Amino acid sequence: MNLSNNPLLWVTFLPLAGALLVALLPDARRSWIRWTAMAAALATFAASLWLLAGFDPSSGQMQMVIQVPWLRVAGISIDFALGVDGITLLMVLLTAFLVPLAMLSAWSGVRERVKGFMILFLLLETGLIGVFLALDLVLFYIFWEFTLVPMYFLIGLWGYSRRIYAALKFFIFTMFGSLLMLLAIIFMGLQAGTFNYTDLLAQRELFAGAQLWLFFAFALAFAIKVPMFPLHTWLPDAHVEAPTAGSVILAGIMLKMGAYGFLRYNLPLFPEATLRAAPWLAGLAVVGILYGAATAFAQKDAKRLVAYSSVSHLGFVMLGIFALTQQSVAGGVLQMVNHGLSTGALFLVVGMLYERRHTRDMAAYGGIWKVVPVLGALMLAVVLSSAALPGTNGFVGEFTILLGSFGAPALGTPWFAGLATVGVILAAVYLLHLYERLFLGPLTHEENRQMPDLNLREVLILVPILVMVFWIGLYPQPFLDLINPSVETLLQSVLPAAVAMH
Amino acid sequence: MSINDFLAILPVLVVLVTGVLVMVADVFLPEGRKGIAALLSGLGLAAGLGAALAAVPSTGTAFAGMVVADGFSLFLDALFAAVGLVGIGLAYDYFKRMRLQRGEYYTLLLFSIGGMMLMGHANDLVMFFLALELLSIPLYILSGFFRARLASQEAALKYFLLGAFSSGFVLYGIAMVFGGTASINLEGIVAAVRDGSANLTFLLVGAALLVVGFAFKVSAVPFHAWTPDVYEGAPSPLTGFMSSATKAAGFAALIRLLLVVFPALGENLAPVVSGLAALTMIAGNLIALVQTNIKRLLAYSSIAHAGYLLIGLVAVNSSAAGDAVAAMLFYLVGYAIANLGAWSVVVAAEQAEGRGLELEDYSGLGRKYPWLGVAMLVFMLSFIGVPLTLGFWGKLYLFRVALESGLFGLAVIGIAASLVSAYYYLRVVVYMFFRDGEGVARRDVWLNLIAIGSAAAVVLMALVPGDLLQVAAQAVLRVP
Amino acid sequence: MLQEYLPLLIIFLIALLVGIIAMLLGYLFGPKRPTRRKSAPYESGMVPYGPGRRRMSVRFYLIAVLFILFDIEVIFVISWATVVRQVGVPGLIAMAIFLGLLEVAHLYAWKKGALEWE
Repeated sequence: MNLSNNPLLWVTFLPLAGALLVALLPDARRSWIRWTAMAAALATFAASLWLLAGFDPSSGQMQMVIQVPWLRVAGISIDFALGVDGITLLMVLLTAFLVPLAMLSAWSGVRERVKGFMILFLLLETGLIGVFLALDLVLFYIFWEFTLVPMYFLIGLWGYSRRIYAALKFFIFTMFGSLLMLLAIIFMGLQAGTFNYTDLLAQRELFAGAQLWLFFAFALAFAIKVPMFPLHTWLPDAHVEAPTAGSVILAGIMLKMGAYGFLRYNLPLFPEATLRAAPWLAGLAVVGILYGAATAFAQKDAKRLVAYSSVSHLGFVMLGIFALTQQSVAGGVLQMVNHGLSTGALFLVVGMLYERRHTRDMAAYGGIWKVVPVLGALMLAVVLSSAALPGTNGFVGEFTILLGSFGAPALGTPWFAGLATVGVILAAVYLLHLYERLFLGPLTHEENRQMPDLNLREVLILVPILVMVFWIGLYPQPFLDLINPSVETLLQSVLPAAVAMH
Repeated sequence: MSINDFLAILPVLVVLVTGVLVMVADVFLPEGRKGIAALLSGLGLAAGLGAALAAVPSTGTAFAGMVVADGFSLFLDALFAAVGLVGIGLAYDYFKRMRLQRGEYYTLLLFSIGGMMLMGHANDLVMFFLALELLSIPLYILSGFFRARLASQEAALKYFLLGAFSSGFVLYGIAMVFGGTASINLEGIVAAVRDGSANLTFLLVGAALLVVGFAFKVSAVPFHAWTPDVYEGAPSPLTGFMSSATKAAGFAALIRLLLVVFPALGENLAPVVSGLAALTMIAGNLIALVQTNIKRLLAYSSIAHAGYLLIGLVAVNSSAAGDAVAAMLFYLVGYAIANLGAWSVVVAAEQAEGRGLELEDYSGLGRKYPWLGVAMLVFMLSFIGVPLTLGFWGKLYLFRVALESGLFGLAVIGIAASLVSAYYYLRVVVYMFFRDGEGVARRDVWLNLIAIGSAAAVVLMALVPGDLLQVAAQAVLRVP
Repeated sequence: MLQEYLPLLIIFLIALLVGIIAMLLGYLFGPKRPTRRKSAPYESGMVPYGPGRRRMSVRFYLIAVLFILFDIEVIFVISWATVVRQVGVPGLIAMAIFLGLLEVAHLYAWKKGALEWE
């Protein structure tokens, strides 16, 4: 096996190599640092496209698997194991796509300690991609926890006024969940004699007796990360205090880690427990949808509003996952990508506004459409995509989820989907409300009259995202082709358990 | 008595003889050149380390069964010699800066290290006591090394009184065990238990007293009261050394003792040790939350880590005993490296007259001295147990052993405690990186070397933890 | 088994008896003319009154500690002397090491000026 030809290694460790390279550059050479970091991020994106090119979309199995024994813990080996299937691939593509854009947004937002920022950002990218690719539970845990550290610093060093509180809260909340998961991982390793995901999957009956507990331990870690109501309280703080680029990655990718964890680990490893828990988790998801929407509507702070909208949107993803039908899960995966694009873009736009006026209070804007028409037009597209207007990506994702979960046998009743539909309407309400308060009506503040419109760099950040938004909205089939075989494989390992239970 | 007897404890002898030589050499050294004593001590410890690594000592018992040489004692010999070397590095710059460079510090340090090494070799209750006193008495004196400073005097007195108290427990325990088994030799005790001639009640009481006595040394709650005061009052380099090495020595004694008595008393004694573990983890971490002085914070942190280690000690009473010992040794090494590194940062930041020790004084330190800051970050993350540090693997192995032995409750408490610990360890990071301040630190050669070297070791060894675990797993005890 | 200790008990009783008899004889036959001085507690002819916490010179302690250190060795030397033929050359070497260590301590105390009375 020639490892150097495997794109998985490149896509995982290119950002790390970039970080090391940046570390060697002198502090004062800011533009060198920025461009080196950007080159590393773009190279990673190229590697992810290479990954896409080498991927066989017709198979739902793990592909390009790397498995190198790393160390042995008293007879149980821990492998360095990576692999990719359709779901993973989309997540990696999303990560590699968003990171350079977020980095570009920090061009003007981050002026101090540029070197540290870029190093942490690239380290974060390695961690994120590692989380998605890891096929060994200990390795997965290592990447999972590792992402905490750079994000902790991104919030704590470059965040806003309450950044220390937010960073600490973020760290402690996430760690709370993941430590229990660590215990569960060790327990499974002891029972099955391996930490390898594929092997554990094959021998899952060995720990089936404890699977309710194990499911709970994993679910807690992932539910905090998603975040599911009522474990979401860290999210508004972390999002609001993080610098724009940090918020983009946090909302766009880190939240997906939780949903991805549910898909990759909870569902196939503990199928009976999944079926039992499905109505409960779907119920929490629906509560999250409605609660997030209602809370978002009440915000005065634009960034906080977007943060709460994340809670609502991720509720759809969770509903899709726990409806456990082919359609709903596929929709959930697509919606993960959609949310990454739309909410990422929303944070970018709010960040651009903040850079101009240094406030996130919606009352400080109003009627600025006439002053900054380009920004207004682009933001309108972003808002509509987030509100799931037909023709945008959000519509495809949410519609598939709702369609899939209406008749879902795992939930037993269409009420979940029915209530969630209300969430779609609420999303339109609070998002249009946001847009109206910022851009429409008469110009209320004189100082806004001097606001500069978007420059070329900022347009360049938003345009690629909008291209993706409309691509998925108008022609989602290539994406669904990637998703469907993997979801099919996934559900095949869950549903026999359903038969056994009923 | 033959040459083999001496070979069995060669590393101990090398260190103790060096101690004597340094003592003599010191009186002939002119004032102002006392640093040579540090150099001599370092050479002696390096020789001791070499002797342990080259595995010169013959294995088996020696001196009529009073001492034993096995993989376990060799491992500890190497650990203590290495920690001692770093301890000297910490002390050298510090005392030069404080204008208190005196040879006695190094002599006493060497004697104490000799006692710790002997603890790993002890195979006889009287040898345990001898080793305990040999390691403790120099530490009492060293705690009061700043004679002019009140806090240092208080530390010495407190440590001495409570230490003597705990020695009393040990002695009484020895008497009880002797009363119950008519033997002070571990082999004799095991034989008495096996042929049924032992009085198990006496043995249980004796063993419990011994556990209490050594629990003082590892500062397990509720026998921890001396720790914060002593750690705060003692000279910082000594505290760094003490918190790494004394803990290991106490656990060395506990492991060997419990391996011997657990088969007979497991059902009765294990709950006691479990209780100690749970209390220590909970109390150590909770009290650490409110500390504002870095030395006290690290003191409570060392108490908390003793709690995690005690989980391993409970697991010694199970089929996973071998794994438990390996996991504890691994954890001790990981903790020692991170701890010495953290103390090197503390020593670097300490100013004259004991200033520069509040967390406030660390404001902005990480930005001003990025190397020291990143090193401290690595140590704190290792203490928390974040992946890609040795601390993570240490906790992983320990919790693995806990689950393997069915200690679910303790594992969950350990997890919860780790979470609490994240808060106060991160506070140090918050001060160093997120706050603006006028923190200052010294750029002493040895201190920087230790800080960066330890940080590199914590991270690099975490990439290949298998080797160290392999070594720890081979450090088996000779079970009588 | 306890019979082995009978001689000890007898010696103890005799010692007790001798003490009691000596004091009793003085009490019975001695002339008794008490004065204030005489009924005061006896303290080597010193005035037994004064502050309870009189300070002694630290030199006394130093000497006392050194005395104890070097005095204890006698216990080991005597017990060694009783078996000197049985333990042979290894015993001689061990004792030489022991005395050598003591000498090091002596040297240290000497060079540090612990034996000076100034």
